[in-house]
Amino acid sequence: MFEKIKKDFTTMTWVLIPVAIAINIAIGQIVVLLKLPVFLDSIGTVLVGIVAGPWAGALTGALSNTIWGLFNPDSLPWWPVAFFIGLVAGLCANAGLFKNWWKVILSGFLIALTAAIVSTPISVYLYGGITASGSSFITAYLLQTGQGVLSAVLSTGFLVEPVDKITTAMLAFVIVQGLSKRLVARFPRPENAEVESGNNTTQIIIALVVVVVVVALGFVVRNMLAG
Amino acid sequence: MHERLSFFVKRDSALHPLNPLTKIVLALGIILVSIFSPWYWTSHVLLLVVIVPLVFIGKVATEYFTSALRLILPAAGFIFFMQAFFQPIGQTVIFNFWFLDITQESLLFAFRIATRITVMISAFTLFLLTTHPSELMSDLTRRGLPPQFAYVIISTLQILPQMQAKAQTIIAAQRSRGLDTESTFFKRIGSVVPLVSPLVFGSLVEVEERAIAIEARGFTSKKAKTSLYEISDRSSDKFIRWGLVIFVIISIVLKLWLS
Amino acid sequence: MAFINLNNVTYKYPLTKTPALQNINLQVNEGEFVAIVGPNGAGKSTLCYTLAGFVPHFFKGEISGTVEVAGIDSSKSTLDKWVLNVGLAFQNPFNQISGAKYTVFEEIAFGLENTGVPRDEMKPRVEEAMKLTDISNLADRSPYSLSGGQQQRVALTSILVMRPKLLVLDEPTSQMDPIGTREVFGVIRKMAEGGMTVVMVEHKMEWIANFADRVVALKDGQVLMEGKPNEVLTSELLVENGFGVSRYTSTAREAKKQGLWKKEKLPVTLDEAVEGFKK
Repeated sequence: MFEKIKKDFTTMTWVLIPVAIAINIAIGQIVVLLKLPVFLDSIGTVLVGIVAGPWAGALTGALSNTIWGLFNPDSLPWWPVAFFIGLVAGLCANAGLFKNWWKVILSGFLIALTAAIVSTPISVYLYGGITASGSSFITAYLLQTGQGVLSAVLSTGFLVEPVDKITTAMLAFVIVQGLSKRLVARFPRPENAEVESGNNTTQIIIALVVVVVVVALGFVVRNMLAG
Repeated sequence: MHERLSFFVKRDSALHPLNPLTKIVLALGIILVSIFSPWYWTSHVLLLVVIVPLVFIGKVATEYFTSALRLILPAAGFIFFMQAFFQPIGQTVIFNFWFLDITQESLLFAFRIATRITVMISAFTLFLLTTHPSELMSDLTRRGLPPQFAYVIISTLQILPQMQAKAQTIIAAQRSRGLDTESTFFKRIGSVVPLVSPLVFGSLVEVEERAIAIEARGFTSKKAKTSLYEISDRSSDKFIRWGLVIFVIISIVLKLWLS
Repeated sequence: MAFINLNNVTYKYPLTKTPALQNINLQVNEGEFVAIVGPNGAGKSTLCYTLAGFVPHFFKGEISGTVEVAGIDSSKSTLDKWVLNVGLAFQNPFNQISGAKYTVFEEIAFGLENTGVPRDEMKPRVEEAMKLTDISNLADRSPYSLSGGQQQRVALTSILVMRPKLLVLDEPTSQMDPIGTREVFGVIRKMAEGGMTVVMVEHKMEWIANFADRVVALKDGQVLMEGKPNEVLTSELLVENGFGVSRYTSTAREAKKQGLWKKEKLPVTLDEAVEGFKK
């Protein structure tokens, strides 16, 4: 088991992790600037999960939040969520769920479920359910309707996370497919990124269409809630 | 934005020469006590009686209060208002707005949470202000942290500002080419791809050469690593660390006992 | 026996059809300074990676033939041991900064820390290496704040400090001005005279002619010709195969057609050209 994990941590992996963290943070910031209804702050984490396995993904996630915490202290307590996002992304990739676009939707969904579940105790215990995130308006609404804190936070998570995490998984998939096969082959798990059927240009185009549709959906839902 | 994501300020204080691990344990100890202690005023007392004096002992008062204004106050303030408005606890309504009630209880709860957040961030800030990242990493590596972790953390701290600078350049370049980041939804979606892809692919393509460069310098060498700097760890350091561990244990025990 | 011994080496990168190196035979003696020239895609960098152990240990792919350095067979060694004998510096200086260090001094010590050199020994070795490449004044600067040429010097120093027996350099002066290039070639020459074997890919023909002992011309992954610098670098064969030649060589070649260059041999360097035209 330990030897197997060690195999995923090649020098390529160690060099990739800082780049992935920087991608998380840079894209996260650009998305804030664009005022999109998603966070997209774990694309790098999922990317590492795909090409270097679950533990490398988990480490990327945990470090990403810790280091971003230097700038934005609010992200610090959420490192376990990021840890599990990377872990589940890697497990999905090892199970072959990053080999074509519709399987990636499934991966995104599984990652979203994980994120919702792991973030709930942190949100409830540390913040009493009301965090600094915009989605806390939904939680607050549910709380006012008489729901318990736990179920209100969890329902908010299940409502908000899929849009973000499916988009994230899709974009990580697009990036991996966009890299040269030569480069992907240097990483410990190139087989995780091999497209099953059809060529990868088609996959990239479909994946991008899915991203647009999902984000549009998220946008509509957000406007409905706000209105 | 900082040139290098390092908050460290070089000063000649009583705090600076402490062993980095002692300073981590100090920060974590303060954070854990403030989370676990069952007493309502714990965080407030920690802030005024422990953190603020330490800031002066460490001679980083100016830097601490600047970052308190810039980082800590907005975060804590936001959380205070969110909690005060949205916590559906208590009956003593002080103020009412739409479906939201502000009660005496929710105000008290908000004050506690906000102070706790302030303590957590402050403890961490104090640690960062007085500890150089490479000193910290050398010390942790010496204590058995795999050296690759030191590489990852310091390398991230150095790559990040460059990446952010590139992101700023790309945003500016896209804007000047008529790509509006403030227009309709679909235009904004469409602008994500050209904004981000050069940034992402450029940095990923570099990974291979950078891996070769550090391999060539013995990154995967199986010999026991040595360190350029010697980092002091005096008996007073050990004394402080164990003292803090005891404090944390006491507050956890109290918490369990009283609940 | 030769210090470097490449015997019929053929290598293919993964996922490619044509070999990057084909039947390469190359022997280099200890302390020899060999320059590699060739057009783009000739296999120069692949040859460097092969000598430095990255082919095949890092890149994988299919290799046949034998690669021996200092009597050790590459296929029987591992990369982490191989790099103790063979140092590699390449063209892009930015990607050679480790990223793990805040100052140039620490950056240069990185390889020594990794390979377990004791602390007392480390400092004098770093200082000595920095003096050699004339970057002592940069010791406290951040490696990221330097110019391309300065970064290349740091990259070279970071390898020199590890005292490899074989130094493999892939265009290490591409971002340096002529003065910097001359200085660095001088340092490398000195290292070779001190017994370090040097293999260097370089486009700057004048400098090769001035400093190298031997030139190997590569094309399409094969050795086209090898020999003394001024024999190889003035050869018609190179022109026919699309190699770049020094401006002095091409000027004199034109002059020879007009009957203005009287000597049999064409020049590579400025000095040779000046002397030839005087006659």
